[in-house]
Amino acid sequence: MRIVDILLAILVTLGILAYILDVLALRWGLSTTYIAKSYPNYLKAAWISLYVTTIAYFIGMGIGFVLGWARSVQTLPLARVMAARRREAVAAADGGSPGAGLFLGTVFVYSIKYYVRRTADAYVAIIRGTPLFVQIVFVWSAVIVFYPRLDPLFQGLLSGVIALTANTGGYQSEIFRAGIQTVHSGQVEAARAIGLSRWGAMRYIVLPQAVRLVIPPLTNEYIGLLKASSLLAVVGSVPELTTFGRSEAFQTFHIFEAFALVVGIYLLITFPVSKVVEWIERRYRVPGLGIQAPRTARV
Amino acid sequence: MAVGTILFILVLQTVLRFNILDPVLWALYFPSFLDGIVLTLRYLGIILPLSAVIGFTVGWARIAPFRTLSWPLSVFVDFFRGVPPIIVVIFAAVLGPSLLPARFRSQDIGIIIAALTLAMHSGAYQSEIFRAGFMSVPRGQLEAAQSLGMTRGAAMRYVVLPQALRLSIPPLANEFAVVVKDTSLLAIVGGFELFGSSFIFEQQILFSPGNQLSWIFVVWTAVALVYFVMTFAVTELLNAIDRRYHVKGLEAVTV
Amino acid sequence: MIRVEELQKRFGALHVLKGVNLEVQKGEVLVIIGPSGSGKSTLLRCINLLIEPDSGRVFLDGTQVNRRDIRPEWVRQQVGMVFQSFNLFAHLTALQNVTLGPVRVLGTDAAAAEAQGRKLLDRVGLADKADAYPAQLSGGQQQRVAIARALAMNPKAMLFDEPTSALDPEYIREVLDVMAALARDGMTMIVVTHEMGFASTAAKRILFMDAGRIIEEGSPEEIFHRPKQERTRMFVGKILR
Repeated sequence: MRIVDILLAILVTLGILAYILDVLALRWGLSTTYIAKSYPNYLKAAWISLYVTTIAYFIGMGIGFVLGWARSVQTLPLARVMAARRREAVAAADGGSPGAGLFLGTVFVYSIKYYVRRTADAYVAIIRGTPLFVQIVFVWSAVIVFYPRLDPLFQGLLSGVIALTANTGGYQSEIFRAGIQTVHSGQVEAARAIGLSRWGAMRYIVLPQAVRLVIPPLTNEYIGLLKASSLLAVVGSVPELTTFGRSEAFQTFHIFEAFALVVGIYLLITFPVSKVVEWIERRYRVPGLGIQAPRTARV
Repeated sequence: MAVGTILFILVLQTVLRFNILDPVLWALYFPSFLDGIVLTLRYLGIILPLSAVIGFTVGWARIAPFRTLSWPLSVFVDFFRGVPPIIVVIFAAVLGPSLLPARFRSQDIGIIIAALTLAMHSGAYQSEIFRAGFMSVPRGQLEAAQSLGMTRGAAMRYVVLPQALRLSIPPLANEFAVVVKDTSLLAIVGGFELFGSSFIFEQQILFSPGNQLSWIFVVWTAVALVYFVMTFAVTELLNAIDRRYHVKGLEAVTV
Repeated sequence: MIRVEELQKRFGALHVLKGVNLEVQKGEVLVIIGPSGSGKSTLLRCINLLIEPDSGRVFLDGTQVNRRDIRPEWVRQQVGMVFQSFNLFAHLTALQNVTLGPVRVLGTDAAAAEAQGRKLLDRVGLADKADAYPAQLSGGQQQRVAIARALAMNPKAMLFDEPTSALDPEYIREVLDVMAALARDGMTMIVVTHEMGFASTAAKRILFMDAGRIIEEGSPEEIFHRPKQERTRMFVGKILR
């Protein structure tokens, strides 16, 4: 029964795919000569996509890590902190020791932490709440206005990298935050109980585990960013894969071939990587320990 | 949060040197702005429900024990998850109309087809959410329902589904927010939703002399604000639904 | 009332049931004991057809029920089951859990189902918890609701799959009391359990099962104090401290 099911499944899947491709190829023409001739150009364009993605990804990782850290630290609202410190200061005044200076100093530090945290929150909220298109165009406008004499390609490239970096930075901060917080709770307590300092606990207990936790979602984020880089097509001057495919399609009228090549190359890169990540996640899954699904850059 | 937003806009204004409340600009821009918002909402009215239906159906079908059903659908899902939506949108808009009988072909139809493709794209992601929801319901629930004499169908309907849906709502809220942002992609094929009409307006500013370039920032800040409000509204709506139907003890297992 | 002949079941390479025979009379309480992995749960699930045996026959009231032309749903209406992990429907209140079966399967009218449900909850001592959700109930309370839920279908017999194994010690008593009361009222029961106290008092016969086969069968007195088989003796020795 099982064998029949599998065979039938393969048959149906391949059948539907073959039928669709056949209809499409028939309707729009499939010129294999064009494909054979142009695919190196598409690969070069893909290379540019990867190039842009990778730069943005790693700079964004720096931003994301710092932001994720900032956002995973517990900071109390300013009012509560002040009330607590006020109580302490009153008690201290009775005993007659540290004065206003120290009190104000701690309040100051706490309020700095609080506002830093809130700014980080705002940054991530904006990134997640607005379309990537808008982010790209916003940066692009700024670049055009402030550096109008730059070569359009460079303008596009600069805006693209900045926008993508900011975008992935926001999403990666979520990943890092989740990773740190998942490990955080009881383990830090236990670490301090055996005598480690807060920093020591972070370094020897939290971070090693957090690193292992964040690798799958970070890999997914890279793939997500690669797909997001396709939105640079709105700028038009950066010859990454989608922009190139689009201009090829409209110039040579080999629309379906262009589509097939672009889609094929994206799938070639993303499909194996996501399957490998899925497999890793499944294999090394610890029940109860993990980061919930989509935190990746998507438009 | 509202305070923070206003503060942030004020900071941005000072740094980039623009005035968000410039009346001259708004007199010119407001029609495009409003039309864009309305059109975005209309697109959402089609895409959101459609994507949910697709997502639910495909998600359900994929947990069925018949590989004949689940394998082709897995290909569908993997395709839409592996390809950037913008490329599918572009080509759907260009190639789609030619699949229809001649009298229906027009650019408007192309945009509609692109919108439908966006629905499929989100549907693929939503099918994964629903599928995870179904799989999160413990197997014992189905067993217990069947031991009472319920058919598999009745058990799914009265026991598994109510729980699976409740579990799916939080990730769904996130996905709906993404759909709101995805509507901006329709601009590249000629849709005049919020992003599209604002982009065209911006091009007009850039290429007509005498207009202040700083107006560009006003436009994009306003646009960003509107999208922000829309995504917030969508997620809050779903969170409200979640709170209404929430049952204590029914929480998604973090895997 | 329930009879099983030469039941065989394989899961892939694992031969779980190797020709099991048993018989339960109406009103009788049968307890099955044995080490884990011996196939006890699988046996129970074959009786109410949650699992389809590879070969062998299952009889209910003299009629063979594991046949193509008999709907397993019909069989499951006649034989109720209580699970080790309770499996209460998490999105429904206790009362709704109890009334779901009668309303959706038997077609009972809602008001009648509710009245019966409240009576059953009262019978298991949880009348005041009718509107509580499972997450708000203790393990013992959940299991008692599960018993009420199964009883709501008016089954001819009840199967219990290690009903107290997942309970904290302080809740075991209350569930066993409900089960004992059920037995006194004449319910036909097959119980898989490790609770020897319950087995000695409530059961008429005990079956010892190991590695997919019934090794020995007898009264509680015989099994616990004068086991005939070596394996029985070893197992009983381990659990009777």
